[in-house]
Amino acid sequence: MKELFPAKQVLGFAFSLVLTVIALAVYFLDMSFQTGMTILLVTAFVQAGVQLTVFMHAGETDDKGAIYLNVYYGLIIALVTIFGTLLAMVWDM
Amino acid sequence: MEFLERFAVPHPSIAIYASMVAIGLTMIAIVAGLTYFKKWGYLWREWLTTVDHKRIGIMYLISALLMLFRGGVDAIMMRAQLSAPENTLLDAQHYNEIFTTHGVVMIIFMAMPFIFALMNFVVPLQIGARDVAFPRLNALSFWLFFMGAMLFNISFVIGGSPDAGWTSYFPLAGNEFSTSVGTNYYMLAIQISGIGSLMTGINMITTILKMRAPGMTLMKMPMFTWSSFIANVIIVFAFPVLTVALAMGTMDRLFGTQFFTMENGGMDMLWANLFWVWGHPEVYILILPAFGIYSEVISTFSRKNLYGYKSMVASMVVISLMSFLVWAHHFFTMGQGALTNSIFSITTMAIAVPTGVKIFNWLLTMWKGKIEITTPMLYSLLFIPLFTLGGVTGVMLAMSAADYQYHNTMFLVAHFHNVIIPGVVFAMLAGLTYYWPKMFGFMLNERIGKWTAWLLSIGFLLAFMPMYITGLDGQARRMYTYSEATGFGPLNMISFVGAIIMAVGFALIVYNVYYSTRYASRDIGEDPWDARTLEWATHNPVPEYNFAVVPEVRSSEALWDAKKHGHVLFKDRNYKKIHMPNNSGVPFIMSLIFFVWGFSFIFSLWIPAILATIGILVCMAHRSFEQDHGHYISVEEIEETETKMRGAK
Amino acid sequence: MKIDHSLPLEYSTDQNQYNILGFWIFLGAEIMLFATLFATYFTLANRTGSGPSGAEIFEITPVLIETLLLLTSSFTIGLGIHAMRLGNKKAMLSFFSITLLLGLAFLGVEIYEFIHYVHVGAGIQTSAFTSILLTTLGTHGAHVTLGLFWGLFIILQVKKRGLTPQTANKSFIFSLYWHFLDVVWIFIFSFIYLKGMM
Repeated sequence: MKELFPAKQVLGFAFSLVLTVIALAVYFLDMSFQTGMTILLVTAFVQAGVQLTVFMHAGETDDKGAIYLNVYYGLIIALVTIFGTLLAMVWDM
Repeated sequence: MEFLERFAVPHPSIAIYASMVAIGLTMIAIVAGLTYFKKWGYLWREWLTTVDHKRIGIMYLISALLMLFRGGVDAIMMRAQLSAPENTLLDAQHYNEIFTTHGVVMIIFMAMPFIFALMNFVVPLQIGARDVAFPRLNALSFWLFFMGAMLFNISFVIGGSPDAGWTSYFPLAGNEFSTSVGTNYYMLAIQISGIGSLMTGINMITTILKMRAPGMTLMKMPMFTWSSFIANVIIVFAFPVLTVALAMGTMDRLFGTQFFTMENGGMDMLWANLFWVWGHPEVYILILPAFGIYSEVISTFSRKNLYGYKSMVASMVVISLMSFLVWAHHFFTMGQGALTNSIFSITTMAIAVPTGVKIFNWLLTMWKGKIEITTPMLYSLLFIPLFTLGGVTGVMLAMSAADYQYHNTMFLVAHFHNVIIPGVVFAMLAGLTYYWPKMFGFMLNERIGKWTAWLLSIGFLLAFMPMYITGLDGQARRMYTYSEATGFGPLNMISFVGAIIMAVGFALIVYNVYYSTRYASRDIGEDPWDARTLEWATHNPVPEYNFAVVPEVRSSEALWDAKKHGHVLFKDRNYKKIHMPNNSGVPFIMSLIFFVWGFSFIFSLWIPAILATIGILVCMAHRSFEQDHGHYISVEEIEETETKMRGAK
Repeated sequence: MKIDHSLPLEYSTDQNQYNILGFWIFLGAEIMLFATLFATYFTLANRTGSGPSGAEIFEITPVLIETLLLLTSSFTIGLGIHAMRLGNKKAMLSFFSITLLLGLAFLGVEIYEFIHYVHVGAGIQTSAFTSILLTTLGTHGAHVTLGLFWGLFIILQVKKRGLTPQTANKSFIFSLYWHFLDVVWIFIFSFIYLKGMM
């Protein structure tokens, strides 16, 4: 039975629960928008990283270079799109 | 009756009625012809169900050429309408429909399949693979594109063409100002073919990353493969944006959502923003494979290796990132502040740098080379000065302050045709001529080919150079007429003459195919151009399995190594049985259901729409449960084919 | 079909490796799909017209339940893949079934949530904000729904055909998909709900 629950994945799960609880602080505690957004950004991206490495086995084969490049590339383009859109449509309109 | 009324064309004309009759007769003729010559089985077995990348490439090619003529007819009609002031050949509504369909057809249904045709056909051969990574998905990609194209093309006889421009800006494209189903066609037809393009992107990237011949590291890939790789990376990350934008546009029109509306918080400008987040990378999706073709052609016919291979690759990688950083230059005048416009101005000017690097690389490749002016080379030689002209006017447009003058004028129209025609269209025609012997086993006639290249270039200059002048003088794009007092008449007449000359050029391509099919020699060997890359190391036309023995490679010019430096491409001469994928009719059927799905949404026919959705899901479920291990080609069969192919030399 | 026994089953043939890499690239495209939805959401979030704002309609309880359900399901499918690599078909199928049940429960809460929104006057046609809110949540929900069917098909296939290179490959790819949906949910949870209620 024990072999079905590898420590790495159990710890990963526990860690992601902890991150969720930390993120919840922005709801239950009173804080400024900047602090709240910082907390959310950190917890969300760390959480995504945990999923990627612990659960999705992104780095276990020879294709890991291609896989990580693919994810980072997507992430960069995604952020450019989101912030570029906000710049052109909201902040500088 | 009320049910049928929705299918009527809102602005009928004699030309549209004539097209209905023509389409009807053509369809009857096709069905009758296939039945009479008993070709239904052949069509189904060899083409509709094929998963062979070469046949899919050829089908893309045929579709692209057909669409080139559809879009070309639109272009001629536009130029004819504008050839004289206050012309009444077309009314405003028809002019709107025609410039809309011209743009969509040429970009989405002509240029895209043309590059997919060459990618599909050439890339697996160039890397020494037997097929793409997902042959079945490849067939699905093609058929989705094809059904999307068909869906778009029936719009002008059933329900009315889209008329809000190829960019389909809201609020013009919203229900209030576009009451016909035309814009629904736009949203759904592009959606369906866009899904196909996305799948091709995934397929090609995986193929190039995982299926290269032994010895071919990334930096030893031929340049066309590199350019296809980068173009597909851009496809994978740009097309989802279009998918979402089109879905939101569709929902606004059909389900009353408020994304791009003028009330309840909707933001019409967001459509323009999202459209160009996809739209600008799309420009590079088209031009990069074109650059790849030019690199192959120029290197081959200068009898030299490509100058600056590494800088070529580096510039493309830079372009792949930067193409996502420039989109707002398409709407400098929309009202965002100076900061945004400055940022996007600078990125736009910067992206001209890696493109300029390539121009110098091609020039230096030719420097001191033994240049042989064949038809593909002639296209490349014409491309360099003409494209540079377009690039320079692009930098003019990139200056956001000056753009207020150029915006929405014929100057812009002249600019983008100036990059797309010498850039993409000439490259595709060069590629077509260059790879024709690989596809069909005979060469296209060189004399007719060179006539075509010259006619297209002269026609192009006559058609588009006057637009720079009228544009700076204030002729707006998309205006169906102008008064005599503007003085635009003579220059527009010159444009019309240029368009006619281009039409003659394109007609010559068809004549060339006919002439060469009839008279060209079939005895051309494996390497008629004295080429340098791996795809020329197998027979013409290529057998089903591409290479009987997997080649080994040590540079980006494997065949040249073999010819000049004693490199052995095929070490193990013993044939082994070859694993090949099975044919399948499911991609075709599933795409047909997608056609019904799109059509039902366009006309708000909800019951067929639900049934078609279920049909699509059933096809996916079928694929999940299906067990398909492919088949083997036996050693005897390979020997037989190889002997026959060598006999043809 | 050559099978390389030194690798886990899901990587053991060339085609399997193509499939996994190809699916990762598809996930790259999915990143952009959701990024576009997020870009639209952030642009339209304050454009509520005459409709309600996020702070007025979001409720923490169902959101928290959904988050826990999806996080746990992501954990259980990870265990499923681990069991598959141990060759323990029975455990793998149990973990996959638990995953799908958690997914189903998630979907149930999400449907409740949607009904609630419509009930308080935040339908998809109300304002730009509600349109993009429900479209983003709906796109994620549609992915989960599709995943439920897909997962079910895979369970049936593993049951019938056992752990072969093909079924293992499909199961692994499905697990990638499921984890990815969890990642997307984390962003929805953080930047739509928590940011909206902050």
